[in-house]
This record gives sequence, structure tokens and C-alpha cells, in this order.
Amino acid sequence: MTVPISAYLMLSVALLVLGMLGVIRRRNPLLLLLSIELMLNAGNVALIGFSRQWDDPAGQVFALVVMVVAAAEVVIGLGLTVAVFRSRMNLDVDEMSSMKG
Amino acid sequence: MAEQVTFAIAAIGALGFGIGVVFFRDAFRAAVSLIGTLLSVALLFIVLMAPFVAALQVIVYAGAIVVMFLFVIAYLGDRPIVAGTDRMDAVQPVAWIALAGVAAFGAITVLASTIGPEYTASDTDVGSPASIGNAFLNQHIIAFEVTSLIMLIAAVGAVILAKRAVMLEGGR
Amino acid sequence: MATTLAWIILLLPLLGGIALASWPGEPPRAVTRLIGIGSIATAFVLALAIFFTMLGNAPSDRTFTSNLYEWISIGGTSLDLSILVDPLSLMMVLIITGVGMLIHVFSAEYMEHDRDYRRFFAEMNLFVFSMLLLVLAGNFFFLIVGWAFVGLASYLLIGFWYERPSAVAAAKKAFVMNVIGDVGLVLAAFLIMRELGTLDYQQAFARAGDLGQNSGTALAVCLLLFVGAAAKSAQIPLHTWLPDAMEGPTPVSALIHAATMVTAGVYLIVRCHAIFQMSELAGDIVAVIGAITLLMAATVALQQVDIKRVLAWSTVSQIGYMIMGAGLGAYSAAMFHLLMHAFFKAGLFLAAGIVIHALHDEQSLNHMGNLRKYLRVAYFGMGMGCLAIAGFPGFDAFFSKDDILATSLAAGPVGVFCWVVGVIGAFITAVYMFRLLFRAFWGPDPKGGYAHAPHASGLWMAVPVVILGILSVVAGWIQVPFGWTGITDWLAPVLADVKNPLEPTHAGEWLTIGFSTAAALGGIALAWWLFAADPERRIRLANIARGPRQLMDNAYDFDRAYDDLFVEPGRELGTVLLDDVEPAGPKGLITGTTAVIRDTARVISASENGLVRTYAFGIVAGLALAGVVLAIVVAGAS
Repeated sequence: MTVPISAYLMLSVALLVLGMLGVIRRRNPLLLLLSIELMLNAGNVALIGFSRQWDDPAGQVFALVVMVVAAAEVVIGLGLTVAVFRSRMNLDVDEMSSMKG
Repeated sequence: MAEQVTFAIAAIGALGFGIGVVFFRDAFRAAVSLIGTLLSVALLFIVLMAPFVAALQVIVYAGAIVVMFLFVIAYLGDRPIVAGTDRMDAVQPVAWIALAGVAAFGAITVLASTIGPEYTASDTDVGSPASIGNAFLNQHIIAFEVTSLIMLIAAVGAVILAKRAVMLEGGR
Repeated sequence: MATTLAWIILLLPLLGGIALASWPGEPPRAVTRLIGIGSIATAFVLALAIFFTMLGNAPSDRTFTSNLYEWISIGGTSLDLSILVDPLSLMMVLIITGVGMLIHVFSAEYMEHDRDYRRFFAEMNLFVFSMLLLVLAGNFFFLIVGWAFVGLASYLLIGFWYERPSAVAAAKKAFVMNVIGDVGLVLAAFLIMRELGTLDYQQAFARAGDLGQNSGTALAVCLLLFVGAAAKSAQIPLHTWLPDAMEGPTPVSALIHAATMVTAGVYLIVRCHAIFQMSELAGDIVAVIGAITLLMAATVALQQVDIKRVLAWSTVSQIGYMIMGAGLGAYSAAMFHLLMHAFFKAGLFLAAGIVIHALHDEQSLNHMGNLRKYLRVAYFGMGMGCLAIAGFPGFDAFFSKDDILATSLAAGPVGVFCWVVGVIGAFITAVYMFRLLFRAFWGPDPKGGYAHAPHASGLWMAVPVVILGILSVVAGWIQVPFGWTGITDWLAPVLADVKNPLEPTHAGEWLTIGFSTAAALGGIALAWWLFAADPERRIRLANIARGPRQLMDNAYDFDRAYDDLFVEPGRELGTVLLDDVEPAGPKGLITGTTAVIRDTARVISASENGLVRTYAFGIVAGLALAGVVLAIVVAGAS
């Protein structure tokens, strides 16, 4: 008895919505980044699920690519957060709005 | 049956820790909660016969990325958000509705669409490192190279950001 | 052989002008003189060579054409860079190079104190080249090119002293007036091209009959050609630029605005006589306009106090005689008068130049008097010129003007009208020219005397004046009534196709000689009585006929009429366009466009609020919307 693939997809949707909720709710840039990780993981679950379904390694390959992107994104995101924190001493994405139109 | 039980535990764990990520006020606790989610997802990967990705999930995500988060959180300390009105307050209800919409959209899509054949319970080696390596180098070489490029860019960017940050503080 | 020389004649002034213009820095004056005068003098010698070659040929064998290359060939017709050397164009070439050479020599001394010595000679050479191109051109196209070029050279030389606002204004005026003429000429060329299918002179004139005798087309072509001629030759109503053109240096006035360029209109009519033969009405119109111009300009000249303006109006008047003759069909007489006029008017201008030079740019007759004591050469040149232009028996205009008048008498009622006007004009001419002579050279010194004693001219200036003075008396003998007809014979090959050549009758000759001699002598006597016998008399008579004299002084208010008719409405239109239309129209369009873009950008930029989370919300909302759409589609499909 196997778990239907739609169950994985539902889980993926749930995690994604959770991540979105985090992105919209949290004002701390660190938690924003954590929420993004959540969303990326949701994607990975779906990818791996499809890989299993079609018996194809491509899904896993892209899951790995997503991980690399996530790592890179975290590096830059954290670097920016630290840089902004150093110059502003305040952790609030709402205050990082000097690029507004 | 064991698979379903494992899936249930992992799914509940992932969602539960995920809720923690989103709702913990404390950044440290949120980060630790994320580790829980990541480990649960790794468990799911094992269930899905992707041991290599599961291993990397644990090593890279839980081991490296979250640790980096923890370092930064420790470095910045626990800073409360400055009191003041949330400028998103005005749209907050709309945001909830939109989120509910997305959730419904996802659920409807998953439930209503024909997903295709269910996988068989039989063993498979698509998750083995050899299979993934083959796929990477034979079919997805461009993705592979782009990956390396992204990492290079990220490394250079991190160095520049760090240098700027140091210079802002008057260092060399 | 003749055409090769003609090409060289054409090129020499051009090369001279280019050499002077492109000379690095200001060349030594001797070099400027050598190039500037040398090129014209060489051209004159070559023109003489052609002349004597032609004399050696039979009259029927005196027309040469030369085609340098086919410039445009399209639809069965071609435009060639070609020249036509025949007795008519050669006569013009001789005038241009000969008189031009004398005036260049004169300028060598006259312009000596000017810092733009080189520029002066470069522009003069350019003018000579343009004028040669005009007369040598073998088709209407290059006629127009030369026509426009002389306008340019005239513009440059009128505005030679560009620091003077009046000179710049005069140059502009001349240019605009000339462009009106250019437009007429170009339209005429279009019509000729359409009706006759060619712009080549010889082909067009050979086919001129296709226009149809007295047809509307022929009339239109003639009148359009005459618009060009009138603008260039300062005929009513396009004459107002010429008196103002006296702002240029005096040699320029002598060469361009007396001897050569302003007679181009006469040349054009004579050249196109085959077309003018097609429309008698056009010829009559031309003649009447010439007659009115000669009378009007002569009366205006009576009132001028500026020595050069007297001569300018006199030029307008004399060209009126030529145009009148050419319109009536007295082509050889008109050309005869053109030649004589080139001599005596150039002489008069150069003599006036000596006076102006000696008096340090003083041009007003009120500050002159008794100059014969100081300036003997100028007195000789001016005296000979005045006798010549007044038609004193034995002098140039006595023969040439009388030739026109006597021929007019043979031209029907219009001719008789012209004859009467011409005789009256001759009388007035004698009065105003001798007024000039008596007021400047006779009588006492001006009030307060001369600041500096007028200094006599040097050889460079004296020689041309003396030569032209002598020509004023001898040149007329080339064509003598009842004697010989040098000019008519010379032009006979060109005018061979005139159907009913006008021949003065014996009675007409005698009548004309009698009346014009009486007019000349009477005019001189009146001028003597008014201005010389008793210098105080003109002051005592100053109050007589104030109104008409004021009118003449203002040159019959043509300038003011043009101001009211064209300049002021144009200026008002410009003001209206600038103040009302422009802010609302083009400018409004532009500012409106920018305002719309700016406002839109402001609205859109409000969404760029810098809040990362709103962007995220935007993505989520978009996704939700896409979901709604998808749900509707799915629901609709099932």
C-alpha cells in the first residue's frame, strides 16, 4: 500500500501556503528568509514526488539545483541583512524601503 | 502500511514545525523549528526512494544553511521589532483571503486534475548517486553549469557584502 | 576652339575666387591683386580672342555649343552641362570681363584700406564667374544656376560691410527680392519643360512655335520669365532692393548693380525673344512696365541727396529703357543700350567712388560742392558719364537711347506711348544727372568747407575712370542712324528668327533725334538754371511742390506698402502663432505628453512603496487571481 502522489502534492501546497503566510506576516528579514526556505522545501517535496512517480532522476536533479539556489540565496540574503543591520541597527524589512519609487 | 505511517508522521512533523517557523516570535526558535521541518522533509524523501537527496537535505540544509542562520541570529542578537503600526495592516485581511485562495487553488488543482499513474511499490534506483550523477552530466549539463555559476556569483557577492560591511565599520 | 576658350573664361574667375578664398591667412595685397585682377584680365583677353575668331567667321557660323558632359538623362530629355557661345552671349562676356576688369583694377586702390581685401576680391571673382555662367549657359537649367549664384554673390557683396546693420538689411532685402524672381524663372522653366519637352536653348527656341501664337501658355511663360527678369533688373514692382543695395562698396555697385547683373533681365528677354515673339500681349506688358519704371525711377532720382542713390535710381530708369525696348521687340537696340549703359554707368559709379573715397565715405550731395577743383579725374569721368546718359548729341546714350525710341515708334500704339514716356524720361534724366554734376562739382564749397581737402586718386582708380569716360563718348559711334548698324549686324545671327524685325523709319529717326536732343539740352539747361547759375536758387525754391517731392523722396512709398502688405501681416501672423498657437499646439502637445507620462509614472510609482512584503502579497494575490480564473475555466469546461 503506497501513499498516493496527490498526498505529497497536498503537503507541498500546505507548506507553500505556510511559507507565503510567513513572508507576508513576518517583518524580521531573518524570518522572511526562513519562510522562503519553507516554500523552497515545498517545491522540493513536489519535485521528488514526481521523480518517484515517473521513475525519473530529473526531479531529483532539480531538487538539488533548488538546494543550490537556496544556499546561494541564503548567503546573499544573510549578507544583506547583516549589512543593512550594521548601517541601520534595526531589523525591519518595512524600513528597508529607500528604493521605493 | 509502514509507508503510510511514516508519511503521516513526516507530514505532520513538517507542517507542525512549519507552523512554528511562521508563528514563533523568537527568531532562534523559528530557526530551530525549521530544522524540524527540514528533517521531516528528509524523511519524506527517504520514503520516496531518494536517499541521496535526503542526505543532502540533512547535510546542506539542516547542517549548513540553518547553522548559518543560527550564526547570524546569534550575531545580531534577539532584537524585538520596533513598536509601531504594521504598514501591512491595511491589506492584512485581503492577504488572508488571498492566501486562502491560493490554498484552495492548490488543493482544487491537486484533487481535480488527473495526476497520472501512481507509482508502484517496487524498488527503484533513480535516487542513487550514480543515477543522479548520470542525469546531471548527460541530460542536464546546462543546469549543472548554471548551478556552479550561481554559486560563484553568490560567493563573490558575499565577499563584496562582507567587505562593505567591514569598511562601513571603519575596518580595512 | 572658341568653346574651349569659353570654358577657360568661365573657369578662370572661379579658380581665382577659390584660390583667394582658400588662401591660408590673408595673402599679401599684391598677390590678391594678381589673382583677383589677373583672372578677370586673362578672361577678357580670351574673350577678345573669341571675338576676333568670330569676326573671321561668316555671320551664320558664329554660334558654338559645347557639351562638357551629360548631367541628367531621363525620359528622353537630357540636362547637359553645356555652354552656348554666340554673338549675344559673347557680347555679354565682353562686357562682364571688360568692364569687370576695369572695376577690379579700380577696386585695388579703392578697397586698399579695408581689412577684408582678400574676401572682397574672392567674392568679386565669384560674382564674375556666376555672371559668366548665367550668360554662357546653354540651357535654362544652368541659366537658373547662374541666376541664383549672382543673387548669392550680390547678397554677399551688398552685405560686405557686415558690421553695418543697414548693409545686412539691404543684403537680405536684395536676396529675398531676387528669390521671388528665381521662383518665377524656375516656374517658367517648368512650363517650358512641360510644353516644349526640353530645357536646351536652341531646341526650345526652335520649338517655341508649339506654344501657340498668343496662347495663354505663351503668355504665362513670358510673364514668368519676366518676373525673373524684373526681380534681377529692378523693374516695378520688384525694384525696391536696388537703391538699398548701394550699401555695398562702390565698385560692387558699379559692377553688379549697374553694369552687369541688373541687366541680366534684359539679356534674358533678348535671349528668349523666340518665346516672347509668341505673345504680343506679354511683350506689351513688359514694355509698359519698363516705361513706367523708367519714368518713376527718373522722378525719384530727382530728389535723392545720396550720390549713389541718384545713380541707383538712374540705373533702374535706364534699365527701364532697355526692358521697354526688349518688350517692344527692339532687341538689338536694347542690347546696344545695355552695352552703352555698362560703360557710362560704370564710369559714373567709379567717378562717384573717387568722390566718396576722397571725402572719406561722405555720400551726401549736401556736403559736396566745387569738387571739380579738387578731383579732376572724377570730374572728367562724371562729366562724360552725365553727357552720355543725358543723351547729349555724339555721346553714348544719344545713339543707344534714340535707337530704342526710334524703333519704338515703329511698334504701334504701345510703342508711341513708350516713345512719349521715353522722351519725357530723357528730359528728366538730363535734369537729375546734371543736378548731381552741378551740386557736387560746381558751385561753392559746402557749408563749413571740407574737413580734409579731398585728395586726388591714384593711378589704379584714375585709369579705369578715364577709360570708361572715353568710352562714354566713342563707344556710341558703333551704331549710327543713317550710317552703320554695328550692333544690329553683330546680333543678326541671334535675332535671325525674329519674324517682323522692327526697323526705325526715317521720319521716326528724325523725330526722335529732334525731340531727344531738345529734351537733353532742355534738361541740362533747367538743371543749370536750378543748380548752377545761382546756387541759392534751389534753397529759395525749396517750398515748391512739397507734396509730390515728398512722394518722390519716399520712392512712391513702395517700401511702406510692402511693409504694410507683406511684412506686417507676416509679423503679426508670427506673433499670433508664437503667442497663441504654439503654446496650445505643438508646445501643448509636448508638455501635455510629458505631463501625462509624469502623472502616470507617479501613480504607478506609488505601487513601488519599497515594502518587500507588499510585493510578496502582490505575487500571492496574482496567484490567487490566476486560480480564480482557472477555476472559472475548469467549471465552464465541465
